[in-house]
Amino acid sequence: MRVLTYGDIMDVGTSVFTAVAKLDGAKLILSFSGVIRVDNPYKHLENYINDLEDELKESVINEIDFDFRELNFCNSNGFYVIMDITEIIYNRLSAPVLVKRLKDDDWQQETLPILLNIDEPEINNRTTFKEFSEL
Amino acid sequence: MITEEDLQKTNISLSYSISPVQNIICDLSALIGDFCEELIGSFYTRVVSKKANVVITELLNNAIENMLDKDSGIILNVKINEKRLLIEVMNVVNRTQYEKVKAQVQKINSANNIRELLKETIQQRRGKRLKGGLGLIRVVAENKFDISVDYKEPFLIVESQISLGGLN
Repeated sequence: MRVLTYGDIMDVGTSVFTAVAKLDGAKLILSFSGVIRVDNPYKHLENYINDLEDELKESVINEIDFDFRELNFCNSNGFYVIMDITEIIYNRLSAPVLVKRLKDDDWQQETLPILLNIDEPEINNRTTFKEFSEL
Repeated sequence: MITEEDLQKTNISLSYSISPVQNIICDLSALIGDFCEELIGSFYTRVVSKKANVVITELLNNAIENMLDKDSGIILNVKINEKRLLIEVMNVVNRTQYEKVKAQVQKINSANNIRELLKETIQQRRGKRLKGGLGLIRVVAENKFDISVDYKEPFLIVESQISLGGLN
């Protein structure tokens, strides 16, 4: 397993959110954890997003996981960053996407599919949701 | 022995009043939202306590960000019993602001497809990278609360409630 890129949001000296892109063979794993409460998360994650685009150019990927299970809170401004990141993946790669999410989390159930643009047939056809219980 | 069913009949009532708003330099909505999640989660299921956190956070943020009179205060009331969870936020606004919020609430409550409204609003606001503006829609579309708005001059009162039947 190789870490491709890593981004985080610091709030009062503590990391409150992390986004990690890892490559496990030909599987790309993007995991999100913590909380997004800051006003401008893009400012914190701009380098991560740019690095992610660069890394994808040099990687062979035939499977993709988005793991949201540890993303405990996402404010409205965080939505745009989630959209930016997942849009890059959907646009740059054609591999099937597995979305891991919590079955009892309102935003992951109701809003996350909107952020992934799941109503688009091309995205819908290659996306599968897997539901998990919170530990 | 107290069962889980017994715990979910607990009556909890909280009220916070903070003024002046200009002194709120901490992340107040996170502090109160997280505390309420812990407190309510000690009696009710995670589904219920997480809903409380998100809705308290959104409504408080909404009120704080739109306050014109920074010398005035903000009031949060939270009530939960075995039947329902009620979250109410009051803050000082003028009639024009009230009319604006009322129109937004009416638009949300009259939407034929609230998911579609949420989707359109996210896409529109993303294009301009607009901050906030989704809180009230999220409360309804995402968290399944009913919302209403009232004005008892000079207080704007945004009330959101959800029936707990089936959630516990």
